[in-house]
Formats: sequence, C-alpha cells, structure tokens
Amino acid sequence: MSALALLTADDYDAADPQIWAKVRTAFAEALGLDEDEVELQHRIIEELDAESLDFLDIAFRLERAFDVKIPRGGIENAAKEGVEDGQYEVDGVLTDVALARLAEAMPELPAAELQPGLRTTEVPELFRVATFYNLVVRLLNEKAAA
Amino acid sequence: MALRRPRFLFLVHALSPAHRRVIGLRRAEMGLLFGLRDGLDPWRGIGRLARLRLDDPALPGGGIDGEVIGLPLDPEQMLADQELALTRMERAVRLALRDGPVDAVGLGSLCAVVAGRGTALAERLDVPVTTGGAATAWALIENAERVVRLREDPGPVAIVGSSGPVGQAVAAGLVARGLRVRVDSKRGGRGAGVEAADGPAAAVAGAGVVVGAGPTGGVLDPAALAPGAVLIDVALPDTLTGPAPAGARVLAGEALAVPRTWHPGGWGRLYHIFANYGPGLVFACLVEPLAMAAAGRRSPLAIGRRVDAEAVAELGRVAGGLGFRPVLARGWRPQSDAALRR
Repeated sequence: MSALALLTADDYDAADPQIWAKVRTAFAEALGLDEDEVELQHRIIEELDAESLDFLDIAFRLERAFDVKIPRGGIENAAKEGVEDGQYEVDGVLTDVALARLAEAMPELPAAELQPGLRTTEVPELFRVATFYNLVVRLLNEKAAA
Repeated sequence: MALRRPRFLFLVHALSPAHRRVIGLRRAEMGLLFGLRDGLDPWRGIGRLARLRLDDPALPGGGIDGEVIGLPLDPEQMLADQELALTRMERAVRLALRDGPVDAVGLGSLCAVVAGRGTALAERLDVPVTTGGAATAWALIENAERVVRLREDPGPVAIVGSSGPVGQAVAAGLVARGLRVRVDSKRGGRGAGVEAADGPAAAVAGAGVVVGAGPTGGVLDPAALAPGAVLIDVALPDTLTGPAPAGARVLAGEALAVPRTWHPGGWGRLYHIFANYGPGLVFACLVEPLAMAAAGRRSPLAIGRRVDAEAVAELGRVAGGLGFRPVLARGWRPQSDAALRR
C-alpha cells in the first residue's frame, strides 16, 4: 500500500476523505462545534477558540479514531530531532535551523508564517486543523510500515 | 429494613512523584505489606485516601458516604498517556464497587480533563460519572454575583477562559441573573446577552469583577486589571501571568464552606490540607457527585463539554440544601462582605 500524502499549504483539497471525516468529527466533538464549522485551514486557537486542554481532548479522540498514539509535543520534537542543544532556540526565539525544520515538520503551513523572530511559545498558535491531519497521516504511515 | 445510604466516589491523581508514593502507601489492601509488585497487586498503587460522611436525617439511611480515591499517576503521566489514566480510573471504581453500590463518581483535577472529559470513563461504567463543572460554575456564579451586589458601579463582569464549558455556563448563569457580562472569546460570546471582546485584556478593561474560568491560566497581564478589581479565579496555574497589581485582589473562586454535619475523618482532615482546601472548606467539584448521589440523579450534572444551566441550578439547590455554601477565600480564609466591599 502506498504511503498517504501529507497536505501542503497550497493543496488542502488533497485530503483523504475518510481520514478527513474522522479528523473533522474529532475536532467538532472536542470543541463542541458543528462539523461544518471545522475546516482544514482553520487556525485551532485563533479561529476555533481552542484552549490548551482542548488539544488534549482532540489528541485523545484522534488516538481512538485511528488507533494510534500521539506523542506529547510530537511536532516540536520532530523539529528538534537531530538539532543540537542551543541550536533550536536562543532566548525563546527560534533559530533559522529551527524554522527550516518546522517548515519540514509542518508543510501545511504557508511559508510566510515561519518567519525569523518567531518565538517557541507562538508555535502552537500556528497549528491548523491540517496540522493534526498531517500528524495522523504520519502515524498511519509509520504503522503501515511497521 | 434500613435504607441504604447513598455513596459517592471522588477520583484524584497524584500532584507530584512524591505524592504518588504517598498514595501507594494508602492502599487499603495488604499488597504492600506482602511486597507484591504492581503485576500482582490488583490495586496497582491506587490508594483510598479518605472516607467522608455527611449526616442528614432527610437522606436515605440518615446521610451519605463518600470516598476519595487517589490514582498513582502524576500530572505528567496523566497527560502523556490518557488511555492509561482511563484504565486506572476504571480500575479504581471497579475496586471500590467491591464494597457495595456507588451512586455517582466525581472527577478531580486532570481526571476531569483527560479521556474526553469523563465521557470515555462513563462509557465503561454503569455508574454515573460527573466532572465537577456544574459545581464549579455554581460557585463562580454565586461568588461573582455576591461581589457585584456589594460594590457600587462594578461595571461588567468579565470572564476570562470563556470558551470552555465552565466559562460558558458562568456567562449564561450571570446573564440569567441580570448582570452585564463581557467574555474574552468569540465562542464564549455565543450566548444571548453576552458581550464578546477580543482577548482577555480587552475583556477585563473597566471590569470590577473578573472571573478566571479557564482550566489553565497564565493568560492575563496583571496590568490589564482595573484598579480595585476582584479576580475570582479557578485556573491552575493562576489566570494572571504575574502578581496582582496593588489594589486588585485574587480570590479562590471554587471553595465551599462545609456544613457542621460534614465528617471527613482523620485522613480526610489531612486530605483537606494536602489538597489545599483548608479546614472547613472543600473545592466545589468534590460536592458534585455527593449532590448527585443525594438527589438520586442518574444523569451526570456535567460531562464532556456539557454543563447545562439546568444542571447548575439543580446542583445549587441540592448542595445548598445540604448546607454547602460558596465562599470567596484568600488562602484558607473566607472573605467577609466588609472586606469585599473595600
């Protein structure tokens, strides 16, 4: 079976319908929204008004829907992988290396959102519904390859 | 034939790795004495922390019994593996059921947050599960209204953390009582009669009473508070990102004074202090399963994201009828009307 494709910023329409339907349901249930209020491009904090603990609920519902385990800090950890201590951030500001790694880890984000000066604490504000779609796709691909 | 006393459980988790070991030592079964390891010990480190009792001749059997059960998982573990937390919560209830029927299960702290905010646990049990959200909302509504009534020209009541279920219930409850309410999010502002502001700082501008209703804080710059404002807070960590400015006050918003007929026992008294309640006070969420059991209610007062106005009102009727009373506390000290007027 071929690997599922990750979404990129310019092609959210490529989402797998079955995966997207489950992701959408998980978001709607966790945030108390109607399903048609959830779109892949939505910023989770700014546009869906999610609070920090909602991420926990979203992760739990996705884990159950797809029978996967979502690691805490998975996206940030992926970006940090192979980056030496002190090379990832300086005084809370992401380095160029970190920005490049985040761009790889989150291809669903428009490049303009990963600009120099971005702080580590601001990264969750960039998360979109598509970020979690891609996280699920990665985990499903890993599971299929195992 | 004597009527059976209603019985409730309240699940909590360890607050730190050291606390986790203490919970392990409070096991009621003999596994620890015999040196059994987790693989053989059915309790898996779950500890029965305190037995509680409320006497009330109007209740079946003359009162209600409760038990605080501690899970051997610290916050990091609760958040890292929600399935494990769910399994431990289910085990705790099933083991307690060996001693007799349970009428309601309440969830404390992160137990109320993980695994779909109580929904996954409720699916696994025949016992009603409730998150404590209705009781927390009731305490916040009563406390906010009390301060508003005591002050001249308090302005709107601002709600920070309004997108969550408790924040939404508090907004609805305060509007229903005729108060002017301003919230910090679009979602929180969906309710009728609620003003929506763009973020916490905008919401609290000019507000004499602020409710910190979010489960986690660290979202409001103290400088944004109006001079003399009272922040009624339930967030952990606190809603403010730093110390309150001079003249403003931060008060714990979910403390309930217990009636004279409340008997926490020796371990319960220690638990009051260990959980930072203070003597004579409990956090409102503890009273939610108690109220359900007392009322014989089978449907949860709060579960998932649902904290209905009807449930908040019923909780208030039952808990108030049993003698529990919301108080605004600073540390362990309830504040008087005179202190709140200043």
